[in-house]
Formats: sequence, structure tokens, C-alpha cells
Amino acid sequence: MTKVLHITPERCTGCLRCELACSQMQTGGSFQPAKSVIRVAPLEAHTSYAPYTCFQCAEAWCMTACPVDAISIAPTGAKVVSWERCTGCKLCTIACPYGTMFLDLDAHKAFKCNLCGGDPACARACPVQAIEWLEGETQDWLGAFAAERAQRDLASVGAA
Amino acid sequence: MRHVVVGAGTAGFNAITTLLSIDPAADVTLVSAEVPYARMVLPYYLSSEIEQANVYTISPERLAGLGVKLELGRQVVGLDRSAKRLLLDGSAGVEYDDLLIATGSSSVRPPVPGIDGPGVYDHWTLADTEALRGAIRPGAEVAIVGAGFIAFTIVNPLLHAGCRLTLIEREPHVLPRMLNAGAAELLEAWLSDHGVRIHTGAALERVEDAGGKKRLVLGEAPDSRLPTPDSGVEADVVIVATGIKPNLDWLRDSGLDVGQGLLVDERLRTSDSAIYAAGDVAEITDLVTGQRAVMAIETAAMEQGRIVGAAMAGRPLFYPGGMLMNVIEAAGLQAASFGDWAGAGASEGFAAGGHYRRYVWAGDRLTGAVIVGPARQLAGENDMGMLKGLVQSRKPLGPWKQLLVERPFEVKKAFLAAGTVSSLLPQTLLGLGSGV
Repeated sequence: MTKVLHITPERCTGCLRCELACSQMQTGGSFQPAKSVIRVAPLEAHTSYAPYTCFQCAEAWCMTACPVDAISIAPTGAKVVSWERCTGCKLCTIACPYGTMFLDLDAHKAFKCNLCGGDPACARACPVQAIEWLEGETQDWLGAFAAERAQRDLASVGAA
Repeated sequence: MRHVVVGAGTAGFNAITTLLSIDPAADVTLVSAEVPYARMVLPYYLSSEIEQANVYTISPERLAGLGVKLELGRQVVGLDRSAKRLLLDGSAGVEYDDLLIATGSSSVRPPVPGIDGPGVYDHWTLADTEALRGAIRPGAEVAIVGAGFIAFTIVNPLLHAGCRLTLIEREPHVLPRMLNAGAAELLEAWLSDHGVRIHTGAALERVEDAGGKKRLVLGEAPDSRLPTPDSGVEADVVIVATGIKPNLDWLRDSGLDVGQGLLVDERLRTSDSAIYAAGDVAEITDLVTGQRAVMAIETAAMEQGRIVGAAMAGRPLFYPGGMLMNVIEAAGLQAASFGDWAGAGASEGFAAGGHYRRYVWAGDRLTGAVIVGPARQLAGENDMGMLKGLVQSRKPLGPWKQLLVERPFEVKKAFLAAGTVSSLLPQTLLGLGSGV
């Protein structure tokens, strides 16, 4: 059984500690939410929140799209980008249909969730267990929650 | 079973790796004029951001180690289908039980006087990149004829090399096969602000020598909006990027059915069921529009290669069709388009600072999208990939369509709330799980 980032959006308070912890792992020490690969989506005019990150999907659209074989699968199941090989061509950023592949414009390299080698910092940092590192299958953690918490947005465009 | 793959580009390479991942003992021969390399990364080699070693997808030694028989540096000259034999220059040829034709495409220059003289370059093959690396230097005036996707892949390398750049495009706007006029105009304005000169609606009439330089004499294209410079454009280096054509000449007498490319069925078989075609030579179905098209893009070639590789390994699969997608970034502005991006009946959104969205709809499904914005800001959002996901998943958006129409920058909310992730998660190209 593999472990996945199990997300329970109802618990998220929008504290953004996951983004800080993630950016620290991604950058090797600095707190830069722009370098985080988990993003907290605000809903209901910033009264509801939900963390969103790579699903480590079965197809691995990023990996198959990479023209230089820079993305591989780690023992955790994470799809991991090798900056030794990545050229920054951006193909993975349009191939990933989840929007969870990012481009570091300072390094000109792609980056994504690598599950921190098996001990994800976002799950450790979350004070309310909205993000947990549990055995199970990945799934659409946010769909029903977002649909419920965006009803006001629908009403405001006359579509509720 | 003797499998033969012609062409070591994206389609051929992916076919071989997929075939061997399923059947490591497969009998495979690779025939290719070139060694395997990734065209997508040539711009980064042009700018010396990567070494030549990082251009190659796999070494001949590694291929040989995998048991692949190699016929590299060889030209295919014909096909004898009755004998199931591929004809090569200077040898008896190669016999096959099944064959993948993945011979790609070649750049073509417009037939105008002076176009083949010295100082005029292409940017299509590794050899082209090598030649161009020797020609560009800081301060050089560089003119690119044809402002399409290929031209835009080398805008940044040339600017970083300190070249002064002029783009010449026959169509009314740049990137005519990737962006609508509104999006392209944002990009043109942005590039002008960054010192790039752009002549649209300008047809190249001839190339002249002008005291050690080249002079490009331009005429007005029929649909031009702008006057063309009377004196022409002078440049130290001319790069022609006006288009490509499938490499099919060698199949003239093969009897295979050809349209714009080799016609293939839903399993990528040509009119001869022992012969597959993939990549830039194949005329496939557009996943979104259902129209036949030669889709000369990297991701489509990769997918077709994998489908054929699986089929050669005895796992015939249905190819749902290719989806158009392209992304460029030039001088800090990024643009991407997906699916039926040019379709009619679109909703649009503009925001200050160079942000633009165009959404094409079929009922409540997003069938095409254009996204433009400063790369730094787009890099912070998840929008670009989500637009691809919405088009790819064909997810009916129900009421969430109205949210995207009214608030085109709230992609994430509509994407999540519509349950797009649930539709996407079970999707795999080969149905074999990851790693294949």
C-alpha cells in the first residue's frame, strides 16, 4: 500500500503553514510561498480554504511529456524532476492537466511535489490535520468541497 | 516478429522505449539518418544553457545495450511492401514484419531569390543549431523570417546572446497557428517594448547581399495592415522559420494512402495494416474537433509513439486523437493555447499588465483556450495546466461555465468545483499504469 497526501479541506483554516514548509523544502531553507508546490485555494471570498497539490497521477503526464527524460518515479511513487537534465522547456507545465507542475523562473527549471522523499513537510506543518500522510489511494479531495463553498460565486454570476 | 522503426525523433524513440518496456526481448531495428536527440531542447543548446550532451535522448551505445539493432546515418529511399522490405541507400535494406514510419518533417524555405545563399540559416535540426551557434554573436542583427512557434523558441536565446532581433511574418499577426489576433497583439506590443522589431503582413520577396550583410526585400502581403519598410531589413544573420513539411517523398511509389500526411486509422495503422505512422508524418484525428490533421507537436508525437510501441508489443490500443497544445515565453511574456483555441463563439477576458484569456465553448464544455500573461505571474498560478485539463477531460462544466465566462481569471475555482479532477484521475494513455 502506498502513502498519499490525504487532504480534508473542511479542516483547513488557511494558515498557509503548508506553503511555508513546502517552500523551505523546495528551496533548501528559505520561506518563499512562491516556491511552494502546495497551494491553498481561497474559496467563499476568503472564508474557506483548501490545499491543492500534485496527485502523483497514474499517467504522469509531466513525465511522459518530458523530451529529455528528466522526470522519474521515486520509490514513494512521487514523480521527481532532475534539475541535472531539465532544460526548462515548459512542456510539462502544459502537459500536466492538474496545473501542479511549476516553472522556477530564476533557475529556468521545472519543479513539482516530490513528497519530500517520503516525509512530506506540508503534512508535518499542518496544525489541524487537513493534510495527512496516510496509506490509501489518491482521489479528488477538493471537488465536492469547492462546489459547496463556491455557491456564492455562482450566485454572483447568476448561475446558482 | 521483426519490428522496424524509421526515425529516431520523439515518435520513434517513444515507440522503441514503450515496446521494450513491455517486451524487453523484442527484435527491433532503428533506422535513422540522425542520432536520437530532442528537438524541443535545441533552443537551450543554441543559448549554451545546456551542453550538447544534454540534447541527446539516448546514446547509440545504450540503444545497442538494449538489444536494438542500429542503422544510423542511413537514408530510407523506398519501401517494397510486397517483400516487406525497407530500402536504404547503399545496402540491401531491412526486412520487417511490422514497421513504424516516423520520419518526421523538414523545414522549408520560401522559393525567393537569394534564399539559399550563405548567411541564411534554418533552425530545425541539430546540425542547424550547430551552424547557427557559429554565426550569432553579441550585437549581431538577426532577422527571423516567419514568426511562428519555431521562431519564438529562439527569441530568448538570441536576445540573451545580445543579438538585435527583427521578426518578419507574412500573416497579419505573429504566431498565426497558435494565437488569435487579440493575444498575438499583446505579445507584439510586449516585444516591441523589449526592443524587438516586428513586421507583420510582410512577404519576403528576395534576399540580397548588402556590403557584408543581407538585405531582406519585403513586399506587402495581401492582407497587410502595416506598411513594410521600403529599404528592406538589413541583417548579419537571417534565420528562415517559415514552416515544415512531412518527410514523405521517399514513399511516393509505396502506394500508401497520403493526405496532408500518411493517413492512419484509430490504431495508427496506415492503409497497409503492417505499417504504422506516428509524429509529424501522420495525419491523425484532432481529439477536440474530430477533424483530420497533421499535428506536428512534441506531445502528440510522443503519445503516438507510445501507442505504436504498445501495439508492436502485442497490445493494440485505441488512440483517442491528438490535442493541440503549445507554449512559448519571450522576453518575460508567456503564451499558451490548447485544443480548438481558434474556434468561434469564444468568451474573453483582459486584465492590465498583459493578461488575456480566450475560452472556446461547445455547450458547457471548454474545447479550446488561450492564455497570455507575464511569465512571473503565470508561474504562480495553476491556471495554465488546468485549462489543458478542462479541454482534455471534456468535463461538462454546468453552472461553472458561467463563472469562467464572467470571471475568466478564476480558473481554479471552476476547475475544482466542476469535479474535473475526478474525470482526469482514471485517464491514462496506454491504460497500463505509470512507468510505461
